[in-house]
Amino acid sequence: MRQVQGTYLTGYVTISVKGTKPEMFFQRCTSHGITVWNIRKIAEDTCEGNIKVADIRTARKLIRGSKYKLYFIDKKGYPFLFKRFMNRKPLLISLILSFLLVIFLSNIIWDVKITGVPKDIEEKISKQLTNYGIHKGAWILSLDSPNTIQQKLVKDVPELLWVGVNQKGTTYYLEGVEKLIVKEEEPNQPRNLIATKKGVIQNMYVAKGLPMVKVNDYVEPGDLLVSGALKVAENNEEDDEKEDKQFDIVPAEGEIRAKTWYEVDVTIPLEYNYEELTGNKEKKYYVQIAGLNVPVWGFGKPTFENVHYEIIEKPIHFFKWEMPIKIVDNILSEKKYYQDERTREEAVQIGIEQAKSELLLRLGPDAKILSEKVLHESIEDGKVRMTIYITAEENIVEIQPINQGD
Amino acid sequence: MKKFRQHVRSLLINSFALPSDVILELPRITIIGQIHVYIENHQGLATYSEKELKLKINKGYVQIIGKEFVLKMMLPEEILLEGTISDIKFIPE
Repeated sequence: MRQVQGTYLTGYVTISVKGTKPEMFFQRCTSHGITVWNIRKIAEDTCEGNIKVADIRTARKLIRGSKYKLYFIDKKGYPFLFKRFMNRKPLLISLILSFLLVIFLSNIIWDVKITGVPKDIEEKISKQLTNYGIHKGAWILSLDSPNTIQQKLVKDVPELLWVGVNQKGTTYYLEGVEKLIVKEEEPNQPRNLIATKKGVIQNMYVAKGLPMVKVNDYVEPGDLLVSGALKVAENNEEDDEKEDKQFDIVPAEGEIRAKTWYEVDVTIPLEYNYEELTGNKEKKYYVQIAGLNVPVWGFGKPTFENVHYEIIEKPIHFFKWEMPIKIVDNILSEKKYYQDERTREEAVQIGIEQAKSELLLRLGPDAKILSEKVLHESIEDGKVRMTIYITAEENIVEIQPINQGD
Repeated sequence: MKKFRQHVRSLLINSFALPSDVILELPRITIIGQIHVYIENHQGLATYSEKELKLKINKGYVQIIGKEFVLKMMLPEEILLEGTISDIKFIPE
């Protein structure tokens, strides 16, 4: 019965054959490779049997040259069912509409939840979000990615330190962290200030503590700059008696700026490549179905020689599932490659700038560069190698707690 | 010559234990109780009605008699018959 299995899916028909000895027609069918089943003889000249839809053409051909007559009595199977269903237009239309409605509802925002911030900031955030177009009932596809929203929000709501934007299905979850202005804690642990680097002191500002160095002093790393132990004046013995200790220990505070020196090695190639976007753009839109891009707008190859591609994919949801259909924006920007050469002098200039900015990055925002000097320069393999000597001014203070013992 | 071929065939069947229906081109008839008859290796339908099925075989016919016959499946050289079977006869030519 293996031959008959699955015929419901492909569809089959019941035929009735009339003529003398109708069973012989079925015999001819089988010898032509048509599978026939459920053959029954209704009358002396009538015989019924089932054949597959695919075999109808062959059976018709066989009947043409013979004295039999062929009638189709019944049709069964999925293809006929499907056809009948397709004929019921209202049902079909309503099904498609309901499907579209579910897709539509799955792709709009149902809720925006903000957590982790007080009410007033919550209000501000939701106001900003409405500005961006994120509110109940907004079309998700037209929105920016959560990442961009995150960045925008942090920029536009100054009270926010950080915000996490999470899109879960039709709900946006926002988790904010409020910026709290924390006052710098008063240092109450007794401490000294020591030097972190060697240098010559340029500037001193001591708020608390006893300065141990003077301007233009040379200090090594670890040298004591400001002592937290204040010596109580010896000649004032009355005061001394009042206080039992010989030293008054305080948390030292201050800023000591010193001239420091660095040697930086840089290598600058004489020939260099760079690319630049010209600002010419083309946009293409695709509908991605199961990994296949079907262009919707923007056909043809871009007219640019070199193209920078930016692809934004927006998935369409059906309930909580991502459908295999995506809307893809493709932004093609023209870019140009340039090749250029520098003279030795230019290379040296660029090297110095580079060394300076690298050093500043390392030293932090309050450091200043006072002067620089190229110690050594040589050209090797089309590159200029340089050793640059840089003088900087920076805060060299480090905190060292005073151990008072138990 | 014909006798020799017959001899070779029976030799093949006996010594290699090959199924006799294949070698001798005879029908293989499987009967399940009274309700099903499965005939393989026949050579065509001769008569079919509610009460009778006659199939051509190598030498002669096989006739099946009963009632309420339905041909459950028909393939070249294979037939599955369903109904109430009362008789199976071999009719020589």
